[in-house]
Amino acid sequence: MRISTIAFANLRRRKGKAFFLVSGIGIGIGTAVALLSLSGSLREEIGSQMDRFGANIVVTPHSDSLALDYGGVSVAGVSFDQHQLSNDDAAGVRRIPYRKRLSVVAPKLLGTVDVDGRRTLVAGVDFASELRLKKWWRLVGRAPESATDVLLGYDVARAVSAIEPFPGTSADADKSSAHHSAAPEEFRITKERVTIGSREHRIAGVIGQTGGPEDRMVFAQLSQVQDLLGRPGQLSVIEVSALCKDCPVEDIVTQIRKELPHANVSAIQQSVRARAEAVDRLSRFSLVVSAVVLAIGALMVFTTMMSAVVERTKEIGVLRAIGFRRTHIIKGLMIEVVIISAAGGIVGWLAGLLASRLALPYFTEAGAQIELRVSLAVLAIAIAMLTGIVSSVYPVIRASRLDPSEAVRYV
Amino acid sequence: MAFVAVENISKTYNDQGSRIGVPVLRDVSAEIGEGEFVCLMGPSGSGKSTLLTILGAMNHPSQGRLVIDGIDVYALSDERRADFRAQYLGFVFQQHHLMPYLNAIENVMLPLATLPLAAIEKRRRALEVLEKVGLAKKWSRMPNQLSGGEQGRLAIARALANEPPLVLADEPTGTLDTKTGDEIMKVLLDLSARGQTIFMVTHNPANAALAHRVLYLRDGELEPTPGVVEARSEYCRSGRG
Ligand SMILES: Nc1ncnc2c1ncn2[C@@H]1O[C@H](COP(=O)(O)OP(=O)(O)OP(=O)(O)O)[C@@H](O)[C@H]1O
Ligand SMILES: [Mg+2]
Repeated sequence: MRISTIAFANLRRRKGKAFFLVSGIGIGIGTAVALLSLSGSLREEIGSQMDRFGANIVVTPHSDSLALDYGGVSVAGVSFDQHQLSNDDAAGVRRIPYRKRLSVVAPKLLGTVDVDGRRTLVAGVDFASELRLKKWWRLVGRAPESATDVLLGYDVARAVSAIEPFPGTSADADKSSAHHSAAPEEFRITKERVTIGSREHRIAGVIGQTGGPEDRMVFAQLSQVQDLLGRPGQLSVIEVSALCKDCPVEDIVTQIRKELPHANVSAIQQSVRARAEAVDRLSRFSLVVSAVVLAIGALMVFTTMMSAVVERTKEIGVLRAIGFRRTHIIKGLMIEVVIISAAGGIVGWLAGLLASRLALPYFTEAGAQIELRVSLAVLAIAIAMLTGIVSSVYPVIRASRLDPSEAVRYV
Repeated sequence: MAFVAVENISKTYNDQGSRIGVPVLRDVSAEIGEGEFVCLMGPSGSGKSTLLTILGAMNHPSQGRLVIDGIDVYALSDERRADFRAQYLGFVFQQHHLMPYLNAIENVMLPLATLPLAAIEKRRRALEVLEKVGLAKKWSRMPNQLSGGEQGRLAIARALANEPPLVLADEPTGTLDTKTGDEIMKVLLDLSARGQTIFMVTHNPANAALAHRVLYLRDGELEPTPGVVEARSEYCRSGRG
């Protein structure tokens, strides 16, 4: 027989009330857990999709003359000033403290050249990085291998008659495909080589129509283009894709700026960002809702404990009369509260996890998962206990102040 | 000095409604020696329970001192006074106030719950007192599985569990029929015979007659002369209503 024996006996005696309290706290914690883990995995999903949407940081030289336009980003083209980007700058980007979060660093030199006699925008790229960055490109042919291999944009390929529609597509395929996005299967490459500047290059592949600037461009090996344009070692732009789960894009930008003080570094606002913001709003909303539900739970604990104290006035008075200290009464009641709220926390955590698993498919694509995080379980139980304890402090102290002589009076 | 000394105790309850309190006890002084069995009688509302709870170290008197075993009880802090009750006092309440959700032996062990004793020692002591009141065989019963007399005996057993120097009982036979009342009295007399100090409030003159000494309380004052029980019995009955 110890104080805890009395607490346990009381819990057993008042199963209904204990159940009611456990479910009250459980609902509060469950709501919080479900909402938080849902918004958490939405955030994870966005983080992992980030590099699907291309670069989110662009490094360009400081320049006054805005000669060329590349993908909505102004690029210093032909004008030479002292602040050109160079191969060293690409290496510099890879040196920043957050380098582990950089998924792709894609340096580029842009310029205009004659392709089979037509003025065309050419991009010297590192194909390995470029293809990783442009995941939406549908390539017909192969990825370039040798230094002289090139990729043609769809419009360029048509202009130099490097492709033709598959037989079987309609006779006016040429016309329609100018307006409709052509699937890669709808054309094939009919030409092996193309002249860029004065040199022959092999056409490794053609990029299916994207509707973007690529359609009107030629992509070649960076060093080749640097030679061709007579700008050895120079770059026009460095596109960077930062893998950002908890997304310190701004931090990464700051670090690149520090490394390349002479360059322009900007983060691109994209649809992903908008979605990330929506998720942020969802998690803020989750926090508010969880707080409200928890507050209701706390109020429930408070009123139940208040009524329990009234209900047990006589019993508590008897315990005080036979030598229980105030602190003993507090201890006994608090043991009950802690057990109930810990149980509420566990139940709530499990329920919340289950609910979020069931709800997840309605919010995200297949594949997104609710992680089993120990920290969340610990947090849920801790918050449940905190809620239970805080909302019981007043009733319990009141109970400990009951006048025993009053309580044991014959009524 | 007597084991228990009630020194000029007055008690006035402050009712919430009226600002002037009702005086319940007026300048009460009494002594109880070690091993004495003292009964307190008096009409309803005369302040018997009030005096008993004051003796029970749980009802602060308005004036006066209570000294038990040389300790000025109401000079102690609230928590220390709780310890004092745990150490010195055993209570038998009229309604017994047994915990309905604890079995007999657990009820008896209740006053030991806060003491730093091994579980086995607590059990040993509880069985010992259950033996004393003749309930050892029914140790696992719940209170509602016991007769009225057995419940009274269980209440006494609980009062004895902490081996208190002073047992206080407020009408322990009050609501019981004569036979079960006698059962309780027998246990108390047994204890008294073994040297237990007992202070008991009762309306029953026959029971009071069995005590070593009887005190009378009327209108908050102890009557000066310890009287003859038989002569008062008529008065007690009328006082009871
Ligand atoms: N806590 C209290 N607050 C206010 N008044 C009280 C309180 N306790 C007792 N009284 C009053 O004090 C007086 C004495 O009460 P007490 O219970 O001591 O009488 P009693 O002699 O035990 O009566 P009974 O024989 O009916 O048990 C009564 O008038 C009662 O109403
Ligand atoms: Mg009374």
